[in-house]
Amino acid sequence: MISMFKNLYQYRELLKSNVKKEIRGKYKGSFLGILWSFVNPLLQVLVYAIVFPIILKSPEPNYVVFLIIGILPWTWFTTSLSQGTFTILGNAGIIKKVYFPREILPISVVTSGLINFLISCLIIFAFLIFSGIGFSGYLIYLPLVILAQYIITLGIVFITSAINVYIRDAEYIINFIVNMLFYATPILYSPDVFAGTKFSAIIKFNPLATIINSYRDILYHQTLPDLKMLALVLITGLVILLIGIQVFRKLERRFAEEV
Amino acid sequence: MAKQDIAIDVENMTKAFKVFYDKPSTLKERLVFWNKKKSESRKVLDSINLKIKKGETVALIGTNGSGKSTLLKLMTKIIYPTKGKITTHGKLTSLLELGAGFHPDFTGRENIYFNASIFGLTRKEIDRRIDDIIAFSELEDFIDSPVRTYSSGMYMRLAFSVAINVDAEILLIDEILAVGDQHFQDKCFAKLQELKDSDKTIVIVSHALESIKQLCNRAIWIYDGKVNMDGNVDEVVEQYIKVCG
Repeated sequence: MISMFKNLYQYRELLKSNVKKEIRGKYKGSFLGILWSFVNPLLQVLVYAIVFPIILKSPEPNYVVFLIIGILPWTWFTTSLSQGTFTILGNAGIIKKVYFPREILPISVVTSGLINFLISCLIIFAFLIFSGIGFSGYLIYLPLVILAQYIITLGIVFITSAINVYIRDAEYIINFIVNMLFYATPILYSPDVFAGTKFSAIIKFNPLATIINSYRDILYHQTLPDLKMLALVLITGLVILLIGIQVFRKLERRFAEEV
Repeated sequence: MAKQDIAIDVENMTKAFKVFYDKPSTLKERLVFWNKKKSESRKVLDSINLKIKKGETVALIGTNGSGKSTLLKLMTKIIYPTKGKITTHGKLTSLLELGAGFHPDFTGRENIYFNASIFGLTRKEIDRRIDDIIAFSELEDFIDSPVRTYSSGMYMRLAFSVAINVDAEILLIDEILAVGDQHFQDKCFAKLQELKDSDKTIVIVSHALESIKQLCNRAIWIYDGKVNMDGNVDEVVEQYIKVCG
């Protein structure tokens, strides 16, 4: 494990340029370019903001802000997961030809997602200002929530990217799970919708629910996030990450033969 | 032989590939055809023992499919041995295929940075070498245009210039001595001579026997996954031509 970190440090320039390539290369050639990574989730917000007030009779006040705070982190999670799952296969060309620490590929997908998210936080801040909600001192907990999401996403992507090399339809299964998870996470609705029903366990045991709730607590409700739950998610994330690294290192030995 | 003199140490190494006649890659195929064992294990390299000293220039020769390129891939750690061990001492660069990881939309300069970083160089190290790389490639006029506008020869020249200037202690080269036009080929050859004289360890896979004789002092003839002959380049090549020529 220590040798892995030493190796990654040696290859830090590759990590940097790969993150850049990930961010810039994706939309190269399209008219709006990198702006699409922000326009896309905003359009999604627009759809939900129009549809959901009709279905749900009394949505949250400032429903658009409520939605944006849920959807932007969710976009980071899903794009990292879908791109990350494909990243080993997508880079088959260099994997077969050159040695470099393979861990760099999933790490750069999740990290470029992080940078995208940090930039899109500016959009969230703009909405907070213009809606009159403003900011609170609880903002200091925001990095902790972001860190928890980064760790958990990276752990999952380590596993899915490696498995997808051996079982190609992992992608489709994961897409399905992500779709379900979208509704099992309080993104469109507030978690009290389930209070007292048998579904409340879903929110309790879904680490993403805790993460989204924490974003909302800090930015939207302006209260202290549930620190105990957050600590639990952080620990869960670290465990997933450790398992992910082990799985990845076990499976990476035959990447060049399988891709 | 003292341990610190050895650059590449291959100990009793075997590499077998699973050969599938119809490889299941989706879940459906795995489930439906779970009892069809249409694969067999094929030994590509069989109990190889090799020691390559620091500063040696070694050629791997042999007919197609004898396992030369596989051995090279094992040395760079792209693939791993089934049995046995392979250890390398020192910074290693492999030129298995030129331009791996080039992004067609990025400029030549950007691709130099990206390609060199794949070889494990840091930003500072690349900054120090960038002028040498561009000068060696002779692509000064095109270096800031996207590489998709390059001709295939220019593309190869850029890729070779990056790889050759990485300054590794061990250099592994697979069949790429024929890059670009005659002028550039001569230049590459001269560069390899220079690297050889500067005490780098070089392992070359090639069928260009005349160039090998000039460049290398030792040759290893791989036949059917085993070391058939190992020794002075002239003797091995002579014997090889006698048998296979």
